[in-house]
Amino acid sequence: MTTSNLTRTTKHWDIFCTVVDNYGDIGVTWRLAKQLAAEYHIPVHLWVDDLHSFSHILPNLDPTLAQQTFNGVNIFQWNTPLDIEYVAGEVVIEAFACELPKQVKWVIERLHKQPQSSAPHWLNLEYLSAEDWVDGCHGLPSTQPSGIKKWFYFPGFNHKTGGLICEKNLFNERDQWQASPNNKMRLFEELGLSGIRVNDTVISVFSYESAALTALINQWQASPKPMHALVPKGRSLTSLAPFLPVDVTDLIPGQQFKMGNLTLHILPMTDQTGFDRLLWSCDFNIVRGEDSFLRAQWAAKPFIWHIYPQEDDYHLVKLQAFMRIYCDNLAAQIAATWTEVNLAFNQGDAKAVVNHWQQLNSVILPLQQHAINWPNNALNDADLASRLVQFVKNS
Amino acid sequence: MKTAHEIRPGNVIMLDGSPWVVQKTETTRSGRNAAIVKLKLKNLLLDSGTEQTFKGEDKLDDIVLERLDCTYSYFADPMYVFMDEEYNQYDVEADNLGDAAAYIVDGMEDQCQVTFYNGKAISVELPVHIVREVIYTEPSARGDTSGKVMKPATITGGGTVTVADFVKVGDKIEIDTRTGEFKKRV
Repeated sequence: MTTSNLTRTTKHWDIFCTVVDNYGDIGVTWRLAKQLAAEYHIPVHLWVDDLHSFSHILPNLDPTLAQQTFNGVNIFQWNTPLDIEYVAGEVVIEAFACELPKQVKWVIERLHKQPQSSAPHWLNLEYLSAEDWVDGCHGLPSTQPSGIKKWFYFPGFNHKTGGLICEKNLFNERDQWQASPNNKMRLFEELGLSGIRVNDTVISVFSYESAALTALINQWQASPKPMHALVPKGRSLTSLAPFLPVDVTDLIPGQQFKMGNLTLHILPMTDQTGFDRLLWSCDFNIVRGEDSFLRAQWAAKPFIWHIYPQEDDYHLVKLQAFMRIYCDNLAAQIAATWTEVNLAFNQGDAKAVVNHWQQLNSVILPLQQHAINWPNNALNDADLASRLVQFVKNS
Repeated sequence: MKTAHEIRPGNVIMLDGSPWVVQKTETTRSGRNAAIVKLKLKNLLLDSGTEQTFKGEDKLDDIVLERLDCTYSYFADPMYVFMDEEYNQYDVEADNLGDAAAYIVDGMEDQCQVTFYNGKAISVELPVHIVREVIYTEPSARGDTSGKVMKPATITGGGTVTVADFVKVGDKIEIDTRTGEFKKRV
C-alpha cells in the first residue's frame, strides 16, 4: 500500500455493492448512484462485484472492463483484492451491509488517524423495511475497532427514517406517460409483445417461485376478459413450467402462449427506465425484493409484493408491517382483500390466493385510486437521496 | 472479543478507548436474515449515555472486569442492593440494570454476577435462563397447543413476556434473559 492514496482524497462518493439476488441490490444502488450524479452533481464511483448481472439492467455495460462510465457514474469492477488503487472520497457507502475491501478499510482507518482527519463519511445503507424498530436504528453510529464511526442509514416510510429512492421528476414523467394509452401500446410493440389490445387486462409478473402464481395463471385462463401476463425469463417462470410446451430454459423473449383467455408473454430484460415504463403500463404488477417493490408503488398501480423469504417466516413480519402502513386510511374491506391476496401469495397458498383474487375484482376501483394517492403519502416530502445528502452534511 | 449478537446487558465493552456498560440490547432482523443489534450504552468514565447499532457479526472488545457471584437482597430507591456470600452489600443504580430490572423480584434466589469498575458495582448480569411465575395472562383463545400462537403475559415483578397461547396464570415459565424470550413452561 502506497502512501499516495492517503493524501489524494477527492469529493467523490464510493458505493460498494455485492450482487446477491441478480437485480435487487444492484438495482437499488444503480438508481441511487444515477440520482446522486444527475441531481446533486456528485461524482460517484460504483463498485460492483458482478458486472454480468449488472449488464442485464444496463445492457450497454461491458462486463469485461475494469472501469467504465454511464449516466455520469464511474462503474468499477470490484475484484478481491481490488486491482485498482483506492483513493478515498468524501463518502463511502457499503450497500446492504456488504463487507468493504480490506484496502478500503485500511485507507479509511489511516486517514482517521491523521491529525486533521480527512476520513470519508462511512455509511451502511440498509434494506428497506416498514417495521417500527427502523425508526430507532436509523442514523445511529457504529464505532469500529479503529475508533472511526460508521453510520447506519435505513430507508423507510416516515420522517424518522432515511426515506425512499425516488427521482425528482419521476412522478411527472409517469403522469405524462399514463395520460395517453398510445405510450403503453408503443412500449408493448417495442418489447415484441403482440396481440395486446388497449382495453385488455395486462399484468406484469416479476416474482420468486410460488404455487400461488401457478394457481393464479390457472384462474386467469378462465377470465371473462382477455388477459396478458408479461413474465421475464427467471424465477417466476419456474412456477409456470407445467403450462409451457417447451423447457423454461429454451424460452425466447417475445414468445407467447395462449391459454384460454390468457396470453402468457415472455418479456425481454429492459433497463431501469424501460422497467418503470412497463410497470406504469400494466394494470397490475406482481413484484419482488426491494427495487421493483418500490418502483411498483411509484407506478401508482395495484400490486402484489412477493417479499424475499427469510428464516422462520420472518419475512411475513416485514410484509405485515408494510401492509399496515399501506392500508392506513383504506376502507376495511378493501384493505382486508388486498392484504389477504398478498399474504396468500407469499405463503404459496393456492386456494386462498384464487379466492381473494376474485374478491379483488370487486374493490379494484378504490384500490386503483389508493395506488394513485399512495406515492406522495409514502414519500413524506423528501426522497432518500436528498435526505442522504443532508445526513452527510450534518454528520 | 464477542460478536455484537453475543453481547448482553451488564457486559462492559471498550469503544474508542473508553469503557461502556451495556444497559440494553435489542436484536432485530434486516433483509436476508442479517441480525442488527442496537445497544444502549453508558460511559463509565463520563457517566454519559449513547445508542449505537452494529451488525450481528461485528466483533466488540468486551473487557473482563472484577465480578462476584451475588444474590439480590432488596431495593433502596434508586439502588438495587446485592449481597455476596460473605454478606458484603453492593449498590447498583437502577439505570445500570437495564432490561434485567424487569426480572428482579423480592426473594429471588437466582445467582447473579455483579461487575465492578474501579471498586464500584456498575452492572448486574442475570443467569441466561430464569424461572418466573405468570401472574396475569388472557385465557387461551383458540386452544392452541402448538406453541406458535403467542400472547402477552405479566410475570412476578411486573415485567411482560410474550408466551405461548397455552400458558395459564400460575404457570412457571423459563425465560431467556438475553432476549427476553419465553422458552418453555416448567
